[in-house]
Amino acid sequence: MKEYRKPLPQPTPWSKPFWDGCKRHEFLIQRCKDCQRPIFFPKLFCPYCLSPNPEWVKASGRGKVYSYTVVYSYGPTEFSEDTPYIIGVIDLEEGVRMMSNIVECPPEKVRCDMEVEVVFDDVTEETTLPKFRPINERR
Amino acid sequence: MSAFKGKVAIVGIGEVPSGKFPNRPCLQIAMEACREAILDSGIKREEIDTIIPTGTFFDRRYNTDMVFSKLVEELGLLKKTKNNFQVFAGGSSSSVMLKTACGLITAGLAKVVLCVQSDKVGSSPTQQMIDLFATFGIPEEWETPFGFFMGGSGSLFATRYMHETGTTPEQLASVMVSNRKWAALNPNAMLRRELTIEEILNAKMVATPFTTKEGNVLADGGAAFIVTSAERAKDLPNPPIYPLGFGSRVCHYAISQDMDLTRLGFYEASQEAYEMAGVGPKDVNIAELYDGYPIFPLITLEGLGICKRGDAGRFVYEGNTWPGGKMPMTTNGGMLGQGHTAAGGGVAVLVEAIRQLMGKAGARQVKGAKIAVETSMGGTFMDSHVVILGRELP
Repeated sequence: MKEYRKPLPQPTPWSKPFWDGCKRHEFLIQRCKDCQRPIFFPKLFCPYCLSPNPEWVKASGRGKVYSYTVVYSYGPTEFSEDTPYIIGVIDLEEGVRMMSNIVECPPEKVRCDMEVEVVFDDVTEETTLPKFRPINERR
Repeated sequence: MSAFKGKVAIVGIGEVPSGKFPNRPCLQIAMEACREAILDSGIKREEIDTIIPTGTFFDRRYNTDMVFSKLVEELGLLKKTKNNFQVFAGGSSSSVMLKTACGLITAGLAKVVLCVQSDKVGSSPTQQMIDLFATFGIPEEWETPFGFFMGGSGSLFATRYMHETGTTPEQLASVMVSNRKWAALNPNAMLRRELTIEEILNAKMVATPFTTKEGNVLADGGAAFIVTSAERAKDLPNPPIYPLGFGSRVCHYAISQDMDLTRLGFYEASQEAYEMAGVGPKDVNIAELYDGYPIFPLITLEGLGICKRGDAGRFVYEGNTWPGGKMPMTTNGGMLGQGHTAAGGGVAVLVEAIRQLMGKAGARQVKGAKIAVETSMGGTFMDSHVVILGRELP
């Protein structure tokens, strides 16, 4: 595997299960055991009721593009060889939002509200990043 | 509800030119701004009992000096000044410094407050400053690994806003045209050359929909303003400028966790501020709006009720915010014209609002301006602040 030089997530004690899940190609989010609301980014306490009992549940990995930008220049140096690349904000079916890359999609094809699904990118031996690809326009 | 209204007044302002001045130390920026504000106010230096230096980004040591009362010593106010402390919220430091000063004066905890901002991000080592701003406010665990950076932040707001409202790239670019027309009239602005829509849209693309001509340029700069009681303001030379209303909402830390990138908190914040002030959007003579990227003045104009939802792009494109237009907007040129002086981007806009109401804006003066609205945003546009200022009490 080619050396990976881009920044990697440094998990916290409460986010580690998410990244461990990604490594197994499982997409997990938290849900509060007490108020039942979905939670993302992973949190130590539920942001709705401050319960200390967020639990991990499997998410569908499907969602829609809420917004996006195609980066062409002046981005972070480590990403310059990837330009143009797509940064997307994804609304997951479970009702939470996350940032990721939209992959397997030509930059001119990306649209708001486009349906996407998770695809796991094993960028290093230790880290897998969840990315998203179009559902209908998959090649 | 608004104990400060009619009790507090802004009485003096000072500002240094923005730009890249490697030989102008940051302390000189702060001192020149403070001195000018003190002289402008006509207040006796010894009356200043509280100094609020907002945060500085370019150098941690300088920032610590500001926190540790360096200015009190430099201004010869040892044993006279009672408080020196920092009030800092990034780009929205302007509004929160003023709000803090109002609270202290209304509560009787301070008599004369000197608020000051100074930074040197324009002439500090370029790569170091770019790296600093590229990552600030962007979660290292959840956004940085995907190649997200500050320079792409405005783009995510703009893409969704264009999708929901049908606003065009030309209309977005017209915000740059407007701000640069004002900057051309501002001797303290760094970017005084006017731009055309063609030039903006034909420039190199950074992160869609924004090109290199739709971003900020880092600058050195600083400004100061003095706040005191309306009673004390009576026999001072400047017309007292009254803070009439404040409204604000914090909407996110991470952009990807904001639930509405097309509105932010400006609808709620404006309502709060108008109610407190006892005025409405029709009473506003000048809109001094925080920019950062061309998308934000559009969102703000709509939140303020100056434009209907989705109509701000047309409004700006047709020249309504230009010099001579019916709603003069960001008349110092904003960060997109005067330069991005870190927290100073917002402070410059607030100082411009005060300057306009005092009638001292020179070639940019909007005649007969009585009510101005100032807005600000910090971090990755995390919060929405609205401040209503008046030359008279409504």
